[in-house]
Amino acid sequence: MPMKWVLHWHPNTGTTVNSQILNEISLCVECINGVKEGRWKAVLTFYRPILRDQALAAEFPRDFLGLSLPEEPNKYYFILRGQRIVLEADSSIQVIMDKLQSYKSRVSLNFEGTQYRLGDFQVRVGKVVPSHSENMRGIVMEVEYLPISSTEKCRQIMAEFVDILQEALSKRSLPGQFMHIEPNFAEYGLLDHYTSQHTAIQYATVMAQLIATVQQVQPMRN
Amino acid sequence: MHRMAIDATPAEASREAPPKQVAMAMELLGQAARLIADIRLGADRFLEALFLSAEPHQSNKPLDLIRKEESAMKQHLEDLRNIGRQLEDSGVLNEALISRSNSWGLHMPLVCPDGAVVAYAWKRQLAGQAGASAVDRTRLALKSFLEQKRRFFPHLDIESVPKRHCVTQPSVVDDHEDSSYYKSLMDILIGLENESQDMKVLAYERLDWLKRSSSLPSSVNEDSIETSVGHTYPGANKLKLGPLGTVPADKIAVIELFIPSVLRAVISLHPAGSTSPDAVSFFSPDEGGSYLHARGVSVYHVFRCVTEYSNMALQYFLGIKMETALFFLLQWVKSYQTLFTKACSKCGRVLSVDRQSALILPPVLRPYRKMLTTGHISLILNAERRCAWIEDDLSEMPAEAWRRWQFLPIRWKSYLSILVE
Repeated sequence: MPMKWVLHWHPNTGTTVNSQILNEISLCVECINGVKEGRWKAVLTFYRPILRDQALAAEFPRDFLGLSLPEEPNKYYFILRGQRIVLEADSSIQVIMDKLQSYKSRVSLNFEGTQYRLGDFQVRVGKVVPSHSENMRGIVMEVEYLPISSTEKCRQIMAEFVDILQEALSKRSLPGQFMHIEPNFAEYGLLDHYTSQHTAIQYATVMAQLIATVQQVQPMRN
Repeated sequence: MHRMAIDATPAEASREAPPKQVAMAMELLGQAARLIADIRLGADRFLEALFLSAEPHQSNKPLDLIRKEESAMKQHLEDLRNIGRQLEDSGVLNEALISRSNSWGLHMPLVCPDGAVVAYAWKRQLAGQAGASAVDRTRLALKSFLEQKRRFFPHLDIESVPKRHCVTQPSVVDDHEDSSYYKSLMDILIGLENESQDMKVLAYERLDWLKRSSSLPSSVNEDSIETSVGHTYPGANKLKLGPLGTVPADKIAVIELFIPSVLRAVISLHPAGSTSPDAVSFFSPDEGGSYLHARGVSVYHVFRCVTEYSNMALQYFLGIKMETALFFLLQWVKSYQTLFTKACSKCGRVLSVDRQSALILPPVLRPYRKMLTTGHISLILNAERRCAWIEDDLSEMPAEAWRRWQFLPIRWKSYLSILVE
């Protein structure tokens, strides 16, 4: 699978994200010869266990994430960041969880936006909104280099591509910038060869960053 | 028929335009020729009738023949006289029209003193013009060809070897690998595999390659991480597998160079078992399908660019010395191990916008000329990109030039067709 970086928008202190910033970013990508390809959507869900005895709640991990990705419609991914666990399951697991009444969805967030193609690169720009609200919580960008799948070999290429993008964005004087935090994939037991599990971990990391950012402005409501 | 010198130009001739005059004169001459033929035939019949009358037991038959023929001949001669008069009037039988200024450069057909009819002067003139234009066109074609040859194949002009590319980093020198040492195909392949840890060298018969390429996974999943030799894919037992030694050397027609996570290069040999490559193509290590062959094209821009450039390198190696072409080509392909990690020597970046195509590319150029000017093989560690070309480096043959070269034969066909006309 081609190597991908998931970046999140880090707004300057005191500012928030809005759709105008998103539009500017999209225009910027189009300016560097990005060709619009279509829409994309990923859904991240926070689960909490359904327990009869609430005292046991402490034994369960705090953040149990589930993620569905557009490139793998038949799969569903689970991430436990604290324990460095990532799991790929069939998409029917959601139905199973519902029937078993084992876990319940606490909060669900949609990552959705437009997909662009720039030569051998694929860029997705999207906003982060809770499922039942229009309140934009963040902006994410996925950058994918299609020809090769090695995490190591791609690193320089990705870094320079992001530099090119940042350079283009800086001309528009936007209040913030994209940041990339590379998770330690080896800790999760993953190999150099890139897979959707790597993507899932990146999304979990991005989510944590978004929460931290939002909490700076306002405490996040459960 | 005798000629009469007449200076006066006939009234009706001056009314017509010269081409019409010429056409009419040609027609009259044609009629005259037909009449002359009829007269000759009549004379033959006379002789026949006389011959017949010499034989015994003849009635009035020869006399009838003679009478009939006599009337016919009289008519023919009369017609000929008329035509003669008309030709005289139009100036064919004299030189009055030659010096006319409004003849449009065309000459009237002329009956020479010795009886020869110079009736085709104007046609010959046009033919002469056509001939002249063919000569001009050939000259232009030759000039254009020489110019393009000088541009695209400068190595064929010995004086134009460029001295611009210096190796800026110390290169890896392998003293014991002299190019003359590698004589046979197997020597080259085994030598190459031994000296590179990361690269896998595999050899196939031509049809076996087709099976192999079709079985390569087109989208990579976790199962295919160990694809390097391909032991795990189904059908392995049926194929004569790639590893050197399983295919007889004289049947090797396709060589696969696989650098894990970087590229897969496919080289075709012609004839099979020889050391002369005839095509090379680059693909992503994740690509698979029957379009993966030495003349195929990758779906990714970066590998497409490298393939275009590699064709030029191949022509260069073949042009210098055919026997060592494969050896140098393989060494040159090996230099692409750092395609995604080594920065461009001109701009210092791994990724930059290519000016010609507006694509964002890593350095796709690896110089190949220097490889042959040194006595031993030095791996060229310079990596370059097309951003350098437009400034000063025409000797590096932009890919667009290669594209134009591919179209050259079509234009040549049109040149040749003009010459053949």
